[in-house]
Amino acid sequence: MNNKLLVISGIASFIIFIYWATFGSWFITGNAPTFVGVIIVSATIFYYIDGAKSGKEIYLRPIPGLKAIEEAVGRATEMGKSVLFVPGISDMDQVDTVAGINILSHVAEITAKYETDLNVPTCRAIVMESAREACRESYLRAGRPDLYYDDMVHYISDDQFAYAAGVNGIMIREKPAACFYQGKFYAESLLLAETGNSIGAIQIAGTGSASQIPFFVTACDYTLIGEEFFAASAYLSNKPELIGSIKGQDIVKFMVMILMVSVFALDSLRQLGILNFDILVLLGLN
Amino acid sequence: MFLKRQMPAIIAIGVGLFILFGHFINNPNVQGFVNNDATQWFDIIASFAIFLGALNMLKLQVLKVVKKQRNWQYSILAIFGFAFAIFAGFFFRGANYITLTDIHPQNVNKLVEYISTVQEVDDPVLMVKGIQGSLASYEIPKIFISRSSAEAFSVTISGIAKDVTLGVKPWGAHVQIKGSLFSWMFFKIFTPLSSTMFALLAFFVASASYRAFRIRNFEATLLLVAGIILMIGRVPVGELVPWWLVSTLMVFGIGALIAPLIPDKKLLFGIIIGGIVLTSGLGILLDWNLAVNMPAILSLPNISEWIFDYPTAAGSRAIMIGIALGIIATSFRIILGIERPF
Repeated sequence: MNNKLLVISGIASFIIFIYWATFGSWFITGNAPTFVGVIIVSATIFYYIDGAKSGKEIYLRPIPGLKAIEEAVGRATEMGKSVLFVPGISDMDQVDTVAGINILSHVAEITAKYETDLNVPTCRAIVMESAREACRESYLRAGRPDLYYDDMVHYISDDQFAYAAGVNGIMIREKPAACFYQGKFYAESLLLAETGNSIGAIQIAGTGSASQIPFFVTACDYTLIGEEFFAASAYLSNKPELIGSIKGQDIVKFMVMILMVSVFALDSLRQLGILNFDILVLLGLN
Repeated sequence: MFLKRQMPAIIAIGVGLFILFGHFINNPNVQGFVNNDATQWFDIIASFAIFLGALNMLKLQVLKVVKKQRNWQYSILAIFGFAFAIFAGFFFRGANYITLTDIHPQNVNKLVEYISTVQEVDDPVLMVKGIQGSLASYEIPKIFISRSSAEAFSVTISGIAKDVTLGVKPWGAHVQIKGSLFSWMFFKIFTPLSSTMFALLAFFVASASYRAFRIRNFEATLLLVAGIILMIGRVPVGELVPWWLVSTLMVFGIGALIAPLIPDKKLLFGIIIGGIVLTSGLGILLDWNLAVNMPAILSLPNISEWIFDYPTAAGSRAIMIGIALGIIATSFRIILGIERPF
């Protein structure tokens, strides 16, 4: 254990101590399990970020959808066509959109290197500004600021179906060779993905909207499912601190699995009358 | 450089930590900020940002027309639509109304007749009662887009009441009043266009389903079978599927699964026929025609319910847990400033 970790553990323990010591006055009663959960999850993720920073090797399994990003842009370059990136229809208050913009910055870096046209139609003005900033940085990082222009990221409409119609129109008219759908999507997901499929574009989707994943899986060549989508930017950046957070996330998932099995076993034993201890009360579920 | 680089990070980290821990702090001001103020701040910023978006859209469309770029004709429509919406929203109310005062009771039926010439009247009797209840002052339930059409109608009904006055609905309210120019644009142009886009989904679902259900491998076959069971099990006709058909299909399914393990086709055929005879015989013997005797597994609605409640729910929950953890990790990276999309 290094000193930094000891300090963090100390702060976390101090916060938990204050929480219990002043229960009911400083803190909201009933939020104890959530609070402890936040502390444990944060500490675990931080521990692995710190470990990765100090040079610890972390293995990430290959994700086909992410490996295909460069291939898709390369295909567009060979065909002399553009790349379309759709960052979803939600605003920057959704983590999905933030994750989408992170992926956009990687895609933009590749398009800058390959000198391929990039088209980013947005549904929200704040997303437009964020996406512009991300693209500008990426073109600068790739050493091609001359290729960047503001209008590669443009606004279409705030309305869901007007936006879908606008993006579909771009697809039909410009026939991009690669389409990326990375962000928060609702009913328009299939409209976009099917249109992209009809023009023969290679399509890579990623979303945190569980109900839209089946549509993307059906219509796209690659889909980033669940946590893959949120891990994408860390995976692509190859930065140790970001990769460390992915490892931490997986450890938390493992802890959640153990917790689920434990709760199931303990509650079963209680219901059978073997154990006189209600785990659900402790977790604030009963 | 500080304002462009460090300042946004400081704001993001500070506000992020404050909102995260604000959820646990028992203080009305902190709670008020976390639950209301913070989201309202975002809404205010987003409202201002809409100008950036609208201007960007307009600029691109105008440039397209001016430079006569490819498909520039569509841009004329976009510019016209934009200008029309601005005109109807900010410069032209198009929400004129007529008020009658001191209506003579004997003229009520006549007034209803006049109104029916400009507005569809669903229930004339109800309208007569409504007018009789407010003879002193009655607002005609018709919004006139132009003042001249309102004036023309007021001339027509001038003898009905002692006084006929023309008015215009206030600014702001005019966008929500049915019959105004803005509402006409919204309900007659925008809504049908949106509905058309939404309706396209039905065709896209069909083409996507076709692609997903094509039997290419074991997973696609499983998807096809589960899809068919769910589709039939969730409609009333699913309850009419007899037990013997379900049991026969199950035997065929099991036969398909074990087929690769049995190279002798005659033996496989014998097993399948034997299975069908066995299940059918059991059904007749145990009188499965009666709903109370039939095993639940032979009812399509039950099978579809089981698929939906167990394998589907388990799979979707696994994805949801992954998404939730992904959101937590991404938020953590942003709050700590490790990842900066801004």
